[in-house]
Amino acid sequence: MEEFSLSVAAFYFMAGLTLLGAGGVVFTENIVYSALSLMVSFFGVAGLYIFLNADFVAGVQVLVYVGGVLVLTLFAVMLTHQIAEIEVSNKSVGRVPALLICGGLFLVIAKALRGAEFFTTPGGQVSESSTYGIGNLLLREYILPFELASVVLLAVLVGAVVLSRKEVIAPDGTPVPERETIPLTEGQRVMSSPRAALAGAAAKQKVSDV
Amino acid sequence: MNLSSVESLAYSLPELILVFATVGILMLDLLITRKRILGELALCACGGAALASALLAGAEQGYLFNQMVALDGFAIFFKLFLSLSAFAAVYMSLGSRELDNEHPGEYYTLLLAAATGTFYMASATNLLMAYLALEFVSLTSYVLTGFIRASRRGSEAALKYLIYGGVASGAMVYGMSLIFGLAGSLDYATIGERLLVPSEANGPILFIAVLLVLAGFGYKISMVPFHMWSPDVYQGAPLPVTAYLSVGSKAAGFAMMIRFFYVALSHAGAGGVWATIEGLEWPNLIVLGSIITMTLGNLAALRQDNVKRLLAYSSIAHAGYILMGFVVLSDAGLRAMLFYIATYYLMNLGAFTVLMMVLNNSDREDMEAFRGLAWRGGALPAAAMAVFMFSLAGVPPFAGFIGKFYLFAAVIDKEMWMLAIVAALNSVVSLYYYARIVRTMYLDQPLKSDPVMTTDWHSGAFAGVLAVGTIVFGVYWRPLIDLADKSLVFFRG
Repeated sequence: MEEFSLSVAAFYFMAGLTLLGAGGVVFTENIVYSALSLMVSFFGVAGLYIFLNADFVAGVQVLVYVGGVLVLTLFAVMLTHQIAEIEVSNKSVGRVPALLICGGLFLVIAKALRGAEFFTTPGGQVSESSTYGIGNLLLREYILPFELASVVLLAVLVGAVVLSRKEVIAPDGTPVPERETIPLTEGQRVMSSPRAALAGAAAKQKVSDV
Repeated sequence: MNLSSVESLAYSLPELILVFATVGILMLDLLITRKRILGELALCACGGAALASALLAGAEQGYLFNQMVALDGFAIFFKLFLSLSAFAAVYMSLGSRELDNEHPGEYYTLLLAAATGTFYMASATNLLMAYLALEFVSLTSYVLTGFIRASRRGSEAALKYLIYGGVASGAMVYGMSLIFGLAGSLDYATIGERLLVPSEANGPILFIAVLLVLAGFGYKISMVPFHMWSPDVYQGAPLPVTAYLSVGSKAAGFAMMIRFFYVALSHAGAGGVWATIEGLEWPNLIVLGSIITMTLGNLAALRQDNVKRLLAYSSIAHAGYILMGFVVLSDAGLRAMLFYIATYYLMNLGAFTVLMMVLNNSDREDMEAFRGLAWRGGALPAAAMAVFMFSLAGVPPFAGFIGKFYLFAAVIDKEMWMLAIVAALNSVVSLYYYARIVRTMYLDQPLKSDPVMTTDWHSGAFAGVLAVGTIVFGVYWRPLIDLADKSLVFFRG
C-alpha cells in the first residue's frame, strides 16, 4: 500500500471520474445522457494530463474535445429529426460473448502490462510549463508532421463539403448541381435553385398532360 | 546525411509538386469553366512527380526533416511506383463516364492529396509520421469512395470503410503508444536498437503491441481478418478509385509495413538474411495471415458474378501472395515482393481498365456484360482482358508468372513447404474464376440485346500499353528485377 498523499488522492479522483464517465457513455440508453457522460470522461482525462504536468495537452483536451467535438456531437444529436422516435436497431445483443471477449482481452493486456518494464528517461522534477517546449519541437523537429497535418485538414475539409453538399436528382437520374442558371421563358435568366426548377418542370409536365 | 527542414526541401520535389497541384487545382476550380483541364493538370502533376522521383535516384541517401522520413532506394522505388499509380487513377478518371459532372475540382484535389499521403507512407521512419500518413490516405479514401452521392452503394461503402478504418487505426495507435512506452522513441532505427536487447518481462506486451499495429497495416493491405471492408468498398467506389485503392494505397501499405517490420523489428545480417529481434517471432504470425488471406480471397472469388467484386476478392488473394515474400526474412523475398507489386500494377490496372470500358459501354459490371465480348466489336479489349486474366492467374508467359516464380523461389529457399503448397493450390483455384471471364468473352455467344462494344481510343490505348507491358515483362523481366534489387536499400542512420 502506497503512502497516502494529496496527489495520490487527486489521481484516483481523476481516474475514477474518467472511468465513471466512460461507463456512463456505454451503459446509458439515452443518447443525450451518453454525450453528457462523455464530457465527464473528457474532463477526467484533462485532469490526468494536468496531473502528468502536461498542461498544454490538458488545455487542448478541454478546448478541442469538450469545446469542439462534444458540442458538435450534442448539436448533431439534438438537431437530428425525431431521434426519440427512431427504433434503435442495434439493441445490444450478445452481451455475454462481448463481456467474455472484452474481459479476456482486458485480462491479457493487464497481465502483460503489469510485468512490463517501460523505458524511463533519467531526470528529476519537471516543473516549468510544457508549452514552450512543445512550440519549439513543433516548429523544429516535428515541422514535417505539423505541415502535413495542415494538408490533411485541408483535404478533410474539402471532403466534408463534398459529402455534405445537397444534390437534387433530375428525373433522368443525372444529379443537378446546387445552383445553376436555368433559362426561363421569354429569354429571362434568373439564378434559381434547381429544386424549384424541377418542381416547375414537373408542374409544366402536369399541365401538358392535362 | 541527416538534413534539417529547409535543406530537405530540395529533396522533396515529388511531394512538393503534388501538394502544390492539390492546392492549385482547388483554386483553379473557381476560375475556369472547362473542368477537364483540372484532370489534365492532375495528370501532369503525377507525371511530374514520377519524373522528379526518378531524378532522385542518383541522390545521396539519408534522413530528411530531422529523421522524419528517409530518402533511400526503397523510398524512391515506391515514390516512382506510387506516382505512376496516381497517374493511372487520374487517367482512368478522365475516361470514366461514371465521374462525369461529379465535381472534378474536388475529386482531383482529393485524389492528389491521397497520392501525397502514400508518398509519406512509403518513406516515413517515425511512428508519428507513419500514423499521420496512413490516416491521411484513409481519410481521403473514405471521401473518394462515397464521392458519387447518387450511388447508395457508394455511400454505404464509404460508411463501412470509415467505421472499419476508425477501429483499425485506433488499435494501431494504441499499439504504437505501447511501443513508444517500451522503446522511449518514435524513430524506427532507435526503436530497433533499444528493443534488440531481449527482455523477458517485455515479451508479452511487445507481442500485443505488434499485433495491434498489424491491425492497422492489415487493414490497409486487406489481410484477413482485417479485410472485411474491401469487397463492399471495391464494389461501391467509383471504378478509378477502386483501381487506385487496389494498387496505390495497397502498395503504400506494404511499403510502410516492410519498413516498420524490417527496420524497427528486425536487423540485417550477412548475405541478405534478416533476423527478428529476439523473443518476437512475428513471421509465424504473418505466415498464418498469408495462408488464410490467399485461401479466403480465392474461395470467395469463385462465387462472384459481379466482376468488380470478383476483382476485389482477387485483390485480397494477391495480398496473400505478396505476403509470402514478407515472411521469409531475406532480401530475395523483399525483391520478389517489389517485383510482384510492379507486375500487379500492370495486370490489375489493366483488368480494371477493360472493366471500365465495358462499364462505360453498357452501364453494367457483372459477368453478363462480358458475354461474347469478342464477337460484338470488342475483339481488342477481350484480347487484352484475356492477357490480364491469365497473368493474374500466374500462367506463363505473362509477367504474373514471373512474379509468382520469384515469390515461390524465395519461400522454397527457406524450406517453408506448407506455405508453398498452399500457394500453389491457390493458384490452381484462381485459374478457375479468371478463366471463367475469358470463357464468357470468347465461348459464349452474344445475345441480340447485348450492345455493340464501342471503345474510345484513350482507354483502349491505355489497356494496350498495360497488356504489352504484361507480355514484355513476362518474357524479358531482367530490367525490372534489377530495379527491384537496386531498390533494396534501407537507410538506418
